[in-house]
Amino acid sequence: MQAHKNRLEDEPAFVLHSYPFRETSLLVEVFSRQHGRVPLVARGARRPKSAVRGLLMNFQPLSLSWFGKHEVRTLHSAEWQGGQPLLQGTALLCGFYLNELLLNLMVRDDPHEQLFDYYQHTLQRLAHGADMASTLRCFEKHLLQELGYALLLEHEAGSARPIDAALSYRYIVERGAVREQADTPDGLLVAGKTLLDMATDDYTDAQSARQGKQLMRMLLNHHLGGKLLHTRELIKDLTKL
Amino acid sequence: MKTPSSLEALIAALRVLPGVGPKSAQRMAYHLLQRDKPAALRLAQSLAHAVETLHHCAKCNNFSEEEVCEMCRSARRDSSLLCVVEMPADLLMMEQAQCYQGMYFVLMGRLSPLDGIGARELHLDRLVKRALEQPCEVILATNFTVEGEATAHYIATLLNAQGVKVSRIARGLPVGGELEHVDSGTLAQAVLERREVAG
Repeated sequence: MQAHKNRLEDEPAFVLHSYPFRETSLLVEVFSRQHGRVPLVARGARRPKSAVRGLLMNFQPLSLSWFGKHEVRTLHSAEWQGGQPLLQGTALLCGFYLNELLLNLMVRDDPHEQLFDYYQHTLQRLAHGADMASTLRCFEKHLLQELGYALLLEHEAGSARPIDAALSYRYIVERGAVREQADTPDGLLVAGKTLLDMATDDYTDAQSARQGKQLMRMLLNHHLGGKLLHTRELIKDLTKL
Repeated sequence: MKTPSSLEALIAALRVLPGVGPKSAQRMAYHLLQRDKPAALRLAQSLAHAVETLHHCAKCNNFSEEEVCEMCRSARRDSSLLCVVEMPADLLMMEQAQCYQGMYFVLMGRLSPLDGIGARELHLDRLVKRALEQPCEVILATNFTVEGEATAHYIATLLNAQGVKVSRIARGLPVGGELEHVDSGTLAQAVLERREVAG
């Protein structure tokens, strides 16, 4: 039937961010499992007695139904899925960081089911007090991989030569790791061990954790095209206190 | 027909209001000019007057005509308590509840990293200065939205580093609330944050 063609029922989704819209509505950017990032208008969601008020919370698994054939669709109903404690403290700021990355790097209407599952897994880890730095590194790696910018961590750039844990490398954006030589000044200096640790998501080594952070920052900055991440600044300010 | 430039300027000026687009602004302008000219003048005068005389109270950051507002000058209020709220409307609600006799600090917003509002934009340094003026307990009464929670966490960290005692208002079921009708998120959090009942 025509009326049902543009209607989607009970989609697993997360709210990434919401903006006030018109007098009483909300414009909600959601990350849905089947349809990727979708903008939805939640009509009347800012009225005091609205059924979805208090439901459209970030970082909570929801089941959403919406309709519409234009870019911005209309939210029909939202249901609480539960099972995810609210993020608190620094973990909450880390959650904002994930959302800021997704909003800046993910285009609308491009499904990423695996990334969705990994996002959910990451939120669970944050809520249950896992080590934040390594949790964020793992998510960043998966994010870039899903968006088609996978890191080359086990082999040297342009060759099949495996990375040697004992050697030093220069990681060049959009190319990968090349052996450190006198005539390759550009790229970030990283230890072979760091690259291999990142490949297995192991950040227990202090040097791997530090260099992994630097490498991820360089790559993300490149893909963000000079855009500043506000949450990164906020977390940096907070850890200085 | 070309719109006269003064009318155009009025429509453009009305559009600064939140939720007012070109159509609503036009409607408002026509109404004011055609139906209710005295009201239009009153609006213009009170706007100019308010902008000129109102500024932020040096103590609570709320709007005030004086350097320090009446509430902050009152000797009847308990200066060992400082309640932090997001907006003036929240302060009014706290006053209506008649549960609190201490002082206030109005943030005039909340941290919202995704909208680019950080600690600098909120002038949290003024809150720290205020909290350190005299020994007091700071009660965080920001909203229970993700942004309000982030704001509370940030302020708590900021003030704890200065040795200030900080508490957060509790959340849970509303008074007179029945489990049957409460939303799942509130209920889930209330169970998670349950407390022991002494027998």
